[in-house]
Amino acid sequence: MLLPEVEYARPSSVQEALGLLSEYEGARPLAGGQTLVNVMKARAAAPDVLVDLQDLDELKGIDLGADGTVTLGAMVTYSDVIGSAEARARPILGEVCAQIADVQVRNRGTVGGNICSNDPTNHLPPLLVALGATMTIRAAGGERTVPAEQFFVGVYQTAAGPGELLTTISIPAGKADGFAAVTIGKDGTCIVNVAASLDGGSPCVVVGCVDAVPIVLRPGTDDEDAVRSAVRGANLQPPSDVHASADYRRHLAEVLAARAIRQAQGRRN
Amino acid sequence: MTETTVAPPKPVVAEPDKPQKGWAGQNVPRKEDKRLLQGAGVFFDDVKRHGMGYVHFVRSPYAHARIRSVDVSKALELDGVYGTLTGDEVAILTDPFFELSVPPGADMKDYALAVGKARFVGEPVAAVVAATRDLARDAAELVEVDYDPLPPLVDARVAEDGGAPILHEEAGSNVVWEGTFDWGDFEGAVAEADHVVKIKELHFDRFSSTPLECSGCLVEYNRGTGQWTMYCNHQMPGVGAIWMAPAMRVGIDKLRFVTQDIGGGFGNKICLHPYFVACCLLARKLNRAVQWTEWRTDQHTANAHGNERWFQEIEVPVNADGTMLGFKVKAVDDCGAFPRYEPLGCIIWAQVTPGCYRWRNIRVDFTQVVTNKSPVSPNRGYSRMQHLWLTERIIDIVAAELGLDPVQVRKQNYVKHEEFPYETPNGCIYDSGDYARCLDIALDLIGYPSLEEKRVDAESRGKLLGVGIGSTLDSGTNNFGQSMILNPELQFSGNNEVATVKLDIFGEIVVTLGTVPQGQGHETTAAQVVADILGCSPDDVHVRAGHDTYWNSHAGFSGTYASQFAVTGLGAVKGATDMLAGEMKKLASVVLGCTPDDIELAGGMARMKANPEVALPFMALGAILNANNAGLPQDLDVTLNCRYVYRPPFEKPDLERKYGNLTLTYASQVHACVVEVDPDTGVYELVDYAAVDDCGNRIHPQIVEGQVHGATAQAIGAATHETFPYDEDGNLLTPNFYDYHVPHALDMPPLKTGFIESESPFTPLGAKGMGEGGGAGIHAVCAALQDALRTRGSPIVTDSCNPYHRVWSLLQDPAASRAGIEISSR
Amino acid sequence: MEASAATAVRSKTITVEVNGVEYEREVEARRLLIHFLRDDLDLTGSHIGCDTGNCGACSVLYDGLVVKSCMMLAVQADGAKVETVEGLADGNELTDLQRSFTAHHALQCGYCTPGMLMSATALLREKPHPTEDEIRKAIQGNLCRCTGYVNIVEAIRAVSQ
Repeated sequence: MLLPEVEYARPSSVQEALGLLSEYEGARPLAGGQTLVNVMKARAAAPDVLVDLQDLDELKGIDLGADGTVTLGAMVTYSDVIGSAEARARPILGEVCAQIADVQVRNRGTVGGNICSNDPTNHLPPLLVALGATMTIRAAGGERTVPAEQFFVGVYQTAAGPGELLTTISIPAGKADGFAAVTIGKDGTCIVNVAASLDGGSPCVVVGCVDAVPIVLRPGTDDEDAVRSAVRGANLQPPSDVHASADYRRHLAEVLAARAIRQAQGRRN
Repeated sequence: MTETTVAPPKPVVAEPDKPQKGWAGQNVPRKEDKRLLQGAGVFFDDVKRHGMGYVHFVRSPYAHARIRSVDVSKALELDGVYGTLTGDEVAILTDPFFELSVPPGADMKDYALAVGKARFVGEPVAAVVAATRDLARDAAELVEVDYDPLPPLVDARVAEDGGAPILHEEAGSNVVWEGTFDWGDFEGAVAEADHVVKIKELHFDRFSSTPLECSGCLVEYNRGTGQWTMYCNHQMPGVGAIWMAPAMRVGIDKLRFVTQDIGGGFGNKICLHPYFVACCLLARKLNRAVQWTEWRTDQHTANAHGNERWFQEIEVPVNADGTMLGFKVKAVDDCGAFPRYEPLGCIIWAQVTPGCYRWRNIRVDFTQVVTNKSPVSPNRGYSRMQHLWLTERIIDIVAAELGLDPVQVRKQNYVKHEEFPYETPNGCIYDSGDYARCLDIALDLIGYPSLEEKRVDAESRGKLLGVGIGSTLDSGTNNFGQSMILNPELQFSGNNEVATVKLDIFGEIVVTLGTVPQGQGHETTAAQVVADILGCSPDDVHVRAGHDTYWNSHAGFSGTYASQFAVTGLGAVKGATDMLAGEMKKLASVVLGCTPDDIELAGGMARMKANPEVALPFMALGAILNANNAGLPQDLDVTLNCRYVYRPPFEKPDLERKYGNLTLTYASQVHACVVEVDPDTGVYELVDYAAVDDCGNRIHPQIVEGQVHGATAQAIGAATHETFPYDEDGNLLTPNFYDYHVPHALDMPPLKTGFIESESPFTPLGAKGMGEGGGAGIHAVCAALQDALRTRGSPIVTDSCNPYHRVWSLLQDPAASRAGIEISSR
Repeated sequence: MEASAATAVRSKTITVEVNGVEYEREVEARRLLIHFLRDDLDLTGSHIGCDTGNCGACSVLYDGLVVKSCMMLAVQADGAKVETVEGLADGNELTDLQRSFTAHHALQCGYCTPGMLMSATALLREKPHPTEDEIRKAIQGNLCRCTGYVNIVEAIRAVSQ
């Protein structure tokens, strides 16, 4: 409950934030804090400096492009997504955000925080990979974009490295999406989750909670048997823990993949 | 949809047309609510003192380790650190806590901090006090402890095996207590029976009620008087002091316990004495008020779990018509690293030996062992819940195996309404009840007659529907003489509770309770009882909030535990108020020149029955005696300040036969639930739920119903997700609310409630203690799951807690769960 | 934005409006908002029931939104408006919601109650006539170990009709 000592800075622009992040070794961005503050309470993480992004209005926009692309600022909260008419252009976004934790967490927790923390049980990493999202990362030297599939590199690790900031997430137009999860209690932490989309060319099924990063499967067709066999063929090596054995997680991955793809099919037209 | 339903037309069994008179029986607004709704309650962590220090415990990361050394020097160097305490100091300054058991348990040495060895992850090894909470934790990280890890013991079933690590070398064994209970003629019953159903092993999981407020205290030491004051949330201070004072080598009056509001207890705040002793020693050593606030992870890892229990080699003789003749079982109870309140759990279950049933031949081999896990403490439904789960599992497993209807088989085996008071094979007297009627109401509430249609409907949606029943007893008002069955040397028997009621100078009625409420509404129900006797409104009765041992209102067994307030607490209130009423009448008769019998108390007045115009307001009585008493007769024996000790009518049990009346009242609850299981995932949902309660006369129906709701929610949690499993190294796998999932508002099914009132013939108000609920929800959910899965290879539910992965395992491999079932028929 | 914002500091003087009163205090950067409220401002109505942000006993309204004050640093609240349970009643005059809680016996030990009231208050401000599902979803982040939520849901529903 009691955090280790830490320094705190509250920049007013992305530029200033990037300066702080590179100036101080051991600095970490503080977004909604719904994961980071908890981890610090457990003293499982002890950053030297927290760079609070709350004043960076440039990271709080939700835009709908003429081509149907939805662009979310990294500091957009789950509640913002749920309430946004623009975000509704890709309905699954708000639907999944509404399943994350509880009102209090949704009011503070941010899309950027969710994906940058890349906890394997998070909802948004598999979803954004399935939707074919693109992450924009800014560093002092400039900006680059990374496809979601390459953004997640390890447990709690992403392509946004030290001294960098995830600024926006762009989600292309579409609607034939699905998401299925088994959680601990209703709307709880995911035991296994699967996101699927039929809008990115070939059907894409992404399994969460079974590895350090979301596992991407392209079964070639949206046939349910093909999807199930793709999951079986993926040779998943999920962790065993108090909530599920590896076998159970493997099994759930298959069942949930079928459900996610079915939901996506139901929304194709 | 939530429906809170008050059950069928004629709810009252005992006196169908009992007229409602007086305040008792009414839902008067709770006196406690106004402060709690405004954030103006006072919980222990709200209390502050000038210059106070904050305590942080250094805890063992090992389940079992020898402690080579503890070095606090680096912590002491940190600015703002006031001081430390180590196990070595504790061993010099205190004696081990008194143990309730005979050897080997008696020889287990338990101190405020680990001395020489750590025996569970999270065990306090040292303590640091600093100027702020944060600094205390920083400093605790600087304490260097040199551990020599030892192999841990995490499975109670192997605790007696040759190679098992021994936790307490002084005891020479991991056994705390063992004994055989044998009533009736089990062999005779087996010989007589048509079938004998054997069940190899059942497991009741560890969990706890996890009160939302964790434990803690603020301790001040008075150097002049040598007295400690603890602002705390201990829920049984009388017993806390019995543990602490001898260990600290001081008289019991040197320990003052003060509580006001407590954020839930459920038994989990009974065994706080090790922490409190450490805080007392620190307050004295540092001459400074110190406060310890337990955090959630601390509570889960190192305070108090409910008892984990294995039931092995169960045998149930059954007649062809479904009549069960009793059972035999070997119970292995896992109490964690130290006995503390144990081995009381080795006898408490015997209050409900045959459950709700007329079983006469019962043999229980009971062994309790220590393991390298968190110690246990009483937990809502303490020890009876585990045993009642066994009786309900027996019913449903036998019914399923022999093709009997679970409703009919219950009704056939229940103790019948007309048999009360009913004496169990071990001499307990079930006071009153009507279990079959409660079951009917419960089944009605879940629409049992249309069950088959519901099954078909669920199947059409790809779901498996199951119905389960849990019938349990909520035994209340302990006869502490049962402890002598465990240890004949113990000088505990009977029970008591205290209240004082006085009429103060301005006519205020002031009530002081010996109890330590944690949400049960004692201020309100006490006022109802007082108001009825004194002829005034509950608003005129001031019941002091909380408990303070300085008020002299407590006795040896005072506290709030074990479902007894409506009997012992209100019995004491009634006794004291009757005394006060007598004194008020006597005083009024002297002033008004008549006899006490001519006086009645009504409308806030003492008045002449014959002529109500001749009256003295309560204020006049209070003022005359307290401030204007010249001229009153010298022999007028009136104080207007009455203390009464309620003592239930108990005898000492027959130790040889382990026989006697162990509790005064037996409230009952029958639950019925409907689950739908997703066979593809093992995920399930409770789609309908009913709880029917019978606790005799209800003083405040809303409070009773609230207790039913709460006990049900806790049982549902325990049945679905709440469990404290350990890995092989002795690490708790659910050390916080992130992994230990407590039901939230979306998880709870629609709850329907019903009630009947079977007045207790043995209690002052015809009420029975209630509140624990006997874990009925656990039994009902286990039964419903087993019912739902019966078309999938008839797996047997062998664990009390069934998270999704366990249900999936039952679906995957039903035969594995059935391996331990055997039926022999003649 | 002040220039000093760009410097990392170990402690900082913050100004927070709580229940309409402005407080200025120096706090360590690591201090949680809940400890600031309870220990620094003596507003002990908001409680702590866990250490992982799961229980909601510390819920407060933060610039109008319900949040868990154990999942925020006090320094983050610089310049914010906070409402706690102490600010609900007008003097001794309880709100309709508070009165409904007592009428429906929606509290037992009272420990979760302040957080529960804040979540329900936020709900009713945004949606004066919520459905039962909306009520349950609104208090999902507030654990209660006494009531099974039955009477809490009833109390909120009754006041919204």
